[in-house]
Amino acid sequence: MRSAVRTTMAVTSLVGAALSAAAAEPTGKEIFDRHCIHCHGPGSEPGTPQLSRTRGAERALLTERNDLAPEYIQAVVRNGLRSMPPFVPSDLTDAQLEALVQYLTAPR
Amino acid sequence: MKVANEFRVPLWVVSRGKNFAYGGAAPVLSGSVVLDLSRMNRILEVNEKFGYALVEPGVSYFDLYRYIEERGLKLWLDVPDPGWGSVVGNALDHGVGYTPYGDHFMMQCGMEVVLPTGEVVRTGMGALPGNNTWQLFKYGFGPYVDGIFSQSNFGIVTKMGIWLMPEPAGYRPYLITFPREEDIEQVVEIARPLRLNNVIQNAATIRSLVLDAAVFAAKSQYYHGDGPIPDSVARRIMEDLEIGMWNFCGALYGPPPIMDALWTAIRDSFSSIPGAKFYFLEDRKRRPDILAHRAETMRGIPKLTEFGFLNWNGGGGHVGFSPVSPTTGEDAIKQYRMVSRRVREYGFDYMGLMAIGFRELHHVTVVVYNQNDPEEHRKIDELFALLVREAAAEGYGEYRTHIHYMDMIARTYSWNDNALMKMHEKIKDALDPNGILSPGKSGIWPKHLRERSDA
Repeated sequence: MRSAVRTTMAVTSLVGAALSAAAAEPTGKEIFDRHCIHCHGPGSEPGTPQLSRTRGAERALLTERNDLAPEYIQAVVRNGLRSMPPFVPSDLTDAQLEALVQYLTAPR
Repeated sequence: MKVANEFRVPLWVVSRGKNFAYGGAAPVLSGSVVLDLSRMNRILEVNEKFGYALVEPGVSYFDLYRYIEERGLKLWLDVPDPGWGSVVGNALDHGVGYTPYGDHFMMQCGMEVVLPTGEVVRTGMGALPGNNTWQLFKYGFGPYVDGIFSQSNFGIVTKMGIWLMPEPAGYRPYLITFPREEDIEQVVEIARPLRLNNVIQNAATIRSLVLDAAVFAAKSQYYHGDGPIPDSVARRIMEDLEIGMWNFCGALYGPPPIMDALWTAIRDSFSSIPGAKFYFLEDRKRRPDILAHRAETMRGIPKLTEFGFLNWNGGGGHVGFSPVSPTTGEDAIKQYRMVSRRVREYGFDYMGLMAIGFRELHHVTVVVYNQNDPEEHRKIDELFALLVREAAAEGYGEYRTHIHYMDMIARTYSWNDNALMKMHEKIKDALDPNGILSPGKSGIWPKHLRERSDA
């Protein structure tokens, strides 16, 4: 790979930005259902069985856990973990990530 | 585009950036601005009568599937393994799925493209004002240009038509397992005429033992040693998971009498291989199970299940080596031996599949490695270069690759003093005079960056 300048920036399209500004911010549950549930929902694969294997069946579903620290969720979402790829700000804005964290750490 | 042209800023365009193992959203040229189209996610039309959709690049397979399901439309998608991928992006990268509509670019019909200089073009019948066949007839009048916008940096596809399969009258997925490594030769030799004659109706796959095991199991459940699993462990996995050294996943589609007739021909053909076992879904009781998983994919249900294989050894990284070969037994076993020997020499397990096209095989080998280990990265780089070189020497070329290897692969398509690349470069210079769009994509560089990495 070649290097022209030092910084790589991620931007959304102008159309996307306009749509984003016009639309209401999604809730934490809506964000989870769009980005996370396909791996981490009940019966979803591979996230749910992998967590069952490594953390135990009682910790397999993120939405039923009480032990997830906000900083841990943020770090895993932004950096990925093992088979989980990172989600960059054009996938999830900081505000959307915060809404997701609130959803996953809400008292149950 | 106007700003990028004015300030000569390189743009790297991604539809949704989920093309993992091929680079994700990362640009070839460091310093490019990543133009992420994932929020251009409108489903503009789904037409049940003719079986097509017109979508923007941010539409994922999950999105389109949900749209069809919510409206109860009698249409099936064809999906690749990453369900969160872009319908447009996958077709443009020559991605494949597993139904009879498995060749996604073949099923593409009509584009709207923003050229690097800002003009907006519609291809095929879309160029005719007031037309009513943009998503029905691919070619329009004059040169067929849609292909130059695939795996290229000649324009940004902002709308694309994709043909969808009418829901069939019946569906019956099946699995045939074969016990020995060398069976691949006979399996492919038998499969070729069946596929050419549409007896095998879908883009079926012949999958290796460890690939299928890894979707649902971790290596540590079976083996704690270094390097690839030994034969004794392979045998234990086969027994444990009721799978073979090779596993043929296919499906029958259509009215039951037609499916019955096709199945008779398929079963009778493969029965000549000693030890072949035949299963329908109802024969597979264990869960999770590879046929239960593939049955959903071959029916067009988007998922992410396949990527369980990334947890095989805990490393999470993967890269795909995907040479194309003729559908002959001789080529299949030669390919398998060439690639698996090298992969194992470097300490990895062979995880491969042979996707059966009409006349060729995509031999996709996935190498799973520890993405946080620099030494593993070094080994992967060395192994990949060796595989590319050895494959090219035997006439096998990759159909798709990671951004890191695009120059390397492009150089193997060198017939007649690199005539094809020279033509690509002429097109590039004409359409993108400032060289702003996705520099380095598929080895195609703008004039001002054209000192090749091997020069």
